[in-house]
Amino acid sequence: MAPLTVRNTVDRLDKPSSYATSKQKRRRYRNPDEEEREKSPEVEDKLKDATTLYVGNLSFYTTEEQIHELFSKCGEIKRLVMGLDRFQKTPCGFCFVEYYTHADALDCLKYIGGTKLDERIIRTDLDEGFVEGRQYGRGKSGGQVRDEYRDEFDPGRGGYGRRVQEGYADEYR
Amino acid sequence: MRQPYGKPEEEVTNIAKIVTENYEDEYVRNTFGELVVALISEQPFKIPFVAAVVLFANNDKAEVAQDILTRVANHAQAHLEAGNWRELKLALRFLAFLQGLYNDDGVFPVLEELFNRAVDLQTASSEDVSAALEGSSQSCMLILSQVLGLELVKIILLTIPYVLASSATGLEQKVAELLEKTDIVASTPHTLEPLVDPYSSAEEDQKPMACPSLINILQKQLQNESSNGWQLSCIPRLYKEENTAMAGTEENAESEPKVPSKHSFPTINVPSSVKQGPRTLFPELYFSLFADQDIEVRQAVGSSEDIAKRSKQSVPPTSDVAASLLRDAIVDTINILDYNRNATAKFMIEIDCYWTVGTFVKRATPFDKLKDVPEGRSTWKPEDIIVDAVFSQILQLPAPEHKLIYYHSIITESCKIAPAAVAPSLGRAIRFLYRSLDVMDLELSYRYMDWFAHHLSNFEFRWKWTEWIDDIDQSDLAPRKAFITGALDKEIRLSFAKRIRETLPEVYSVLIPEGKLKDTPDFKFDDDQTPYAQQGREVHKLLRKKAPEEEIQTVLDEIQKLATEQGVEDPLIPSTDAYMTSVCAIGSKSLSHVLSCIERCKERLLAVGPQSEPARRQIISSVVEYWGDHPGVAVNIIDKLLNYTIITPMSVIEWALHDHLNHGRDLSKSYVYEMVATTMFKVTNRVRQVVVMRNDPATPAEQRPLLDQTLTTERQSMRELFAAIEDAVTSVASSANDEMIERFDGEEVEQALIRAWGERWARAWRRKAAVEEAVVGEAVVEAAAAALDAQASAEAGADGNGVDEAQASAEMDQVE
Repeated sequence: MAPLTVRNTVDRLDKPSSYATSKQKRRRYRNPDEEEREKSPEVEDKLKDATTLYVGNLSFYTTEEQIHELFSKCGEIKRLVMGLDRFQKTPCGFCFVEYYTHADALDCLKYIGGTKLDERIIRTDLDEGFVEGRQYGRGKSGGQVRDEYRDEFDPGRGGYGRRVQEGYADEYR
Repeated sequence: MRQPYGKPEEEVTNIAKIVTENYEDEYVRNTFGELVVALISEQPFKIPFVAAVVLFANNDKAEVAQDILTRVANHAQAHLEAGNWRELKLALRFLAFLQGLYNDDGVFPVLEELFNRAVDLQTASSEDVSAALEGSSQSCMLILSQVLGLELVKIILLTIPYVLASSATGLEQKVAELLEKTDIVASTPHTLEPLVDPYSSAEEDQKPMACPSLINILQKQLQNESSNGWQLSCIPRLYKEENTAMAGTEENAESEPKVPSKHSFPTINVPSSVKQGPRTLFPELYFSLFADQDIEVRQAVGSSEDIAKRSKQSVPPTSDVAASLLRDAIVDTINILDYNRNATAKFMIEIDCYWTVGTFVKRATPFDKLKDVPEGRSTWKPEDIIVDAVFSQILQLPAPEHKLIYYHSIITESCKIAPAAVAPSLGRAIRFLYRSLDVMDLELSYRYMDWFAHHLSNFEFRWKWTEWIDDIDQSDLAPRKAFITGALDKEIRLSFAKRIRETLPEVYSVLIPEGKLKDTPDFKFDDDQTPYAQQGREVHKLLRKKAPEEEIQTVLDEIQKLATEQGVEDPLIPSTDAYMTSVCAIGSKSLSHVLSCIERCKERLLAVGPQSEPARRQIISSVVEYWGDHPGVAVNIIDKLLNYTIITPMSVIEWALHDHLNHGRDLSKSYVYEMVATTMFKVTNRVRQVVVMRNDPATPAEQRPLLDQTLTTERQSMRELFAAIEDAVTSVASSANDEMIERFDGEEVEQALIRAWGERWARAWRRKAAVEEAVVGEAVVEAAAAALDAQASAEAGADGNGVDEAQASAEMDQVE
């Protein structure tokens, strides 16, 4: 009997997280001697039942309620963790959304990632699961790293990058 | 393989050439074979093109066609046995398009076998059918088999055009015989059709669109087409017998043109009893926003001119088989490719590349320019056809295949790719739906509103609000006013009140009161006029500083004492109000705040219900009252309270449809529908999950009795909830609600509006109840269980060589 599933004819939008795979790439870049390998099986394995999504490019002003309103269109939300500035404990533009099922999380990648929330195109990635501590930004000044050096003005994410505001990037002006 | 702008004839012959010239290469053979199967299952638009490649390839190498036939037949067989009807339909479409390849009757014997099965399934007597509408689950089962019969006939009817568009000739007689047979099944209206009718409340002539049975119009369209000599002009035909000769001579100019080889039709066995398949089927109607509407409002005087004018429409009329062919292919493409909405949207925008040139008017032709299209040329707007098809899914009853947000995203992406082409069609769709709100099914008007707000949120909330200004002055009970209010609330939830107010004309600001602009709602106990104000503040203060339970209890006791002195019947109500309102206020900063506060207070909240049901419902009242300006937040909190079992589904239903019905008026509020719908979804989803688990072959047999018991209990409470809704809303519909008569005696307009809301609620919830019976009713579950047992015993019987077989088939799969 022929198998019931066929190879997909176009790319899938619910493929394993590009964040996870880029982590792999970064590691390879740092250790060029490390053997060439495709996506590590552990990463694939960790994500195969994942119910959590990392959501990025949010405005600092986007609220839990807004996120809830949009993301619950893909299924009931089990938990929502806002990303916070490590020092100020204010939202810093990302969050984790946890669903009850893996299927809902995949649907979210397919139907919500790349659409707008609060008038910004948001990014979604499958995530291996929230652990305490991950809600904080890892940039020097407490927010997300990407907001440190950004030299274009983004009113939804605190204006210019923090280091830029401090005059770090004077030579580029 | 896709080159939308290239010349398809050349593309197709080139591919055929590459394949035949390299067919010795195993990689080419396998890849081509896999790709053909993948394309016909995933990209229905391409079936005529893929079939043409195979036909051209057959001219040079009979082996290519032979391999493909075997492969596709295996694929079709597997799906036929699994009850995957769409996959079977597409495989048959491909095989039908190759009819010219066969030296026998080709696809016809399979179609006839399918018809025989359909007839077997139609045996349910009409008495059973009417019993089913009264809720007998046994009869529901029979009806469902009938629907499966309809599905089989639909497959037959949708295969016929493609077999006739093939290079084979002289099929008219065979088709006529088949159509004669299907007529009885296709022309009989199905009893369940009213359940899926988006306008079931409207009289026939008041319906914005007739919404005929899909299979019924398909039968008629085919009969029409047969009297037109089977032109089937929209189906692209790239392969013609004379092409063959040319293709042959190109290579060997000297030799005689080869006669292409013929093949026998590959074996496909229709099992004696067919499976329901993974999806519960319901009858399908043909929904359209644009069909059968003249593009010119002016009516011509002469009758012949009249007809000519009428043929000028922006989408195929429901009498034209192209309507069904296009819709079927579009809807399949959308539902199959849900894993890449961008690819789907691209297919939609490029639809004109996949059908005969001239099927559509040029892309992005403005609607008002259609009347200038010269006589005899198509006025079908591709964008209208796409938008029409997507809405047929968003407004599909009981539910479309995927989550609604997927269909939202198709529209969003299409607008991103071709804003100037799609947006105007969308605008006309919005207006059409807006005009028909008063006759639209309640659930569908909610879906429309939800889509509308979500869609605008992706496009800077831009809409021509000025055109609806006249409706602002209407009663809140008017369906259009209710739509506007509900849509604005949804917009605010996705954004914030100040922003939404900026997007509206000044006059709309009355719909966004000051309260909505505030960050935090007022705490009512801050006002000394509020009864128990001082105690309320105290509870709030104690909760905030996480004081010991005893201290809180002291204050609550005080409230109860005061209440008792004032003759309040249930003193637990005011104390619960103070407590829950304080919980809301402390958690007002965000959803996580209120959740952690509820978590902290859950013992006390859980203890309320068992003492007094009215006090339990007070918890709901307090939440809704506190978040009165932001009902979305209230609905959310209530959902979480249900998860904590602090409140029960019945308390939500009774609260919304009994205690706070506001004389029936609140049935017009979208958040009330949302609250009831989310609650009921939780309940029905739970029952469905138990059924899935019950009939999962992987569930150990010893767990079944327990699951059966759970199922019986949960199904019972589900039925009680549906009954409670029905009771409450039918009394509104019939104005039997005592309070209502008292209050609205004389105000006839209002009363009529309220009654209409009652009717809409009643219809929608009656349908939802019937749908659940069709999915989790006793007979349905038992039948599935029996099938499971039969399968298990068959496997046990074949024990011993079962393992080998499994292994063998696994190996075969790998070879495939």
